[in-house]
Amino acid sequence: MFASFRAELLKIRKRPATWVLALVWCVLLMMLGYVFTYSFAANPPDPPENQPAAVQQQEEALNEQLLDGLLPENLLENLFANGTFSLGAAIVLILGAMAAGSEYGWGTLKTSLTQRPGRFGLLAGKALALGVFIVLFVLLGLAAGALSSYGVALLQDAAVEWPPLEELARAAGVGILTFGAWGFLGFALAMLFRGTALAIGLGLAWALAVENTIALLPIDSDWWKGFRRLTLGENTSSVGSIFGDPNPAFGIPEPLVEPERAAITLGLYVAVFAAISLFLLLRRDVT
Amino acid sequence: MAATVSREPGREERRSYPLVETRGLTKRYGSRITAVRELDLTVERGEVYGFLGPNGAGKTTTLRMLLGLIRPTSGEARVLDEEPGSPAGLEKIGALVESPAFYPYLSGRDNLRVMARYSGAPRSRIAEVLDQVELSGRAKDKFKKYSLGMKQRLGVAAALLKDPELLILDEPTNGLDPKGMADMRGLIRRLGKGDRTVLLSSHLLGEVEQICDRIGVINKGSLVAEGSIAELRGRQGLLVRAEPVEEAARIAERLTGVEEVEVSDGALRLATDPDRAPEINAKLVSAGLRVSELHPAEQSLEELFLELTGGETV
Repeated sequence: MFASFRAELLKIRKRPATWVLALVWCVLLMMLGYVFTYSFAANPPDPPENQPAAVQQQEEALNEQLLDGLLPENLLENLFANGTFSLGAAIVLILGAMAAGSEYGWGTLKTSLTQRPGRFGLLAGKALALGVFIVLFVLLGLAAGALSSYGVALLQDAAVEWPPLEELARAAGVGILTFGAWGFLGFALAMLFRGTALAIGLGLAWALAVENTIALLPIDSDWWKGFRRLTLGENTSSVGSIFGDPNPAFGIPEPLVEPERAAITLGLYVAVFAAISLFLLLRRDVT
Repeated sequence: MAATVSREPGREERRSYPLVETRGLTKRYGSRITAVRELDLTVERGEVYGFLGPNGAGKTTTLRMLLGLIRPTSGEARVLDEEPGSPAGLEKIGALVESPAFYPYLSGRDNLRVMARYSGAPRSRIAEVLDQVELSGRAKDKFKKYSLGMKQRLGVAAALLKDPELLILDEPTNGLDPKGMADMRGLIRRLGKGDRTVLLSSHLLGEVEQICDRIGVINKGSLVAEGSIAELRGRQGLLVRAEPVEEAARIAERLTGVEEVEVSDGALRLATDPDRAPEINAKLVSAGLRVSELHPAEQSLEELFLELTGGETV
């Protein structure tokens, strides 16, 4: 298994697409999490002439709140509670799908398996290597967020106060669970469809369209809420609330799941997706 | 079928099993398609075994089953006395199945690094096998930039990483130009020397004839013949061209030791011992016939193949 892990690490590390995804992730986080918000809040549009003073004061307070949220002391709240980090879910889903699915497209699964690793060893090595890169993407996200918030502090001439190390470690854990669940969803889909295209297409459709639709549907019943509590998207946003409530300016709905329970659910998703992948690789012929 | 193996001077190891043995090996896809049917195959240690058959005969399916890539529906297979696909067996097997498949964004050397990590082969083997397949000069180039011949050679290099006892090569000359094919044949011949066993699947009759010690012919999933090429050619005979041919045929039919007489293209094919040529010549000449040609007639491998496969093209 360790030999396969080393082989997989080499493959992912040397793959240009891995680093393109890493770059896209960092740019996405900085742009959508900081640059756009800062640009809007720091340079608000001129209010209409007949706007009441009370509304104007309310908007100014909101902008102030948005700018405060971008400062280093609110790093984890902005990244996790406001959902900025969950933007990376789609990126790691693609990473996971590539780690498993490309082997089918290139026909390299047969080449690798005939070298000796055994199906379990090969999959375990792949999963571990994907795990390492998921950790790396989480750390890159935290670093990109920290850099952006530092930039905002400089621009605002504000004090630079970082969250305590303990909180940063917890954030890394939350990020790993979140990215792990989405990354291994992509991994399992690629194993299921024996390729990357359908896995990425369906995975993104689920992440971006279905999950959002589920969250927005105005169905107020217990069974619907029960179903929503199980979805990946709901648990992703709920686990982020461990760092505070989302900024009201973003209009994010209240989380349905306790953060601790959401963390456990995401961990279970990782295990289930890995188990499905193993089952598929062990059971199927490699043609 | 005991075989004595001596891999190191002064050390002898007796192995009582063939390197590859299948009994009743069958692979069905659904209820209608039987890719391989009740296959009994034996490959002995140290031989270069040619696995011959038309396209779609079941060659690649069989090889995939031997490597554990696909599971048989029924029957048994042992490879190096191990279950197909078990890490213990694969440790001693090198394989190139169908087209060579590698990571296009990695160089030839890095592809071999990945494979060496999977197999546990020492890193020093990478340079050795690159030399063996004469690819050292292009080892730093990306796989996607390789020509087909180079890709095939990299496939063989990966198969050699473990210095395997058994080398399984599936159509290794597919798509190569004549020079590439000649180079590959030379390489396989070199690799087959000594103790190493080679199981070579091919649809190129000349290739098999030049390289292999023994062949197995598969058709529609079943093994229709197995043995050395000489054994399979079987019946020896004489080709006689004499005038008038009808009279020559009548005389030949009466000769003792001539089992069968066949007339084709104005010549006689006699199923008999070629050593009887002078005696037969004398009989025909003494009967007043003009004999213009008389020599041993060998069934070509192509004729043999067509006979065994019922005329299926390769």
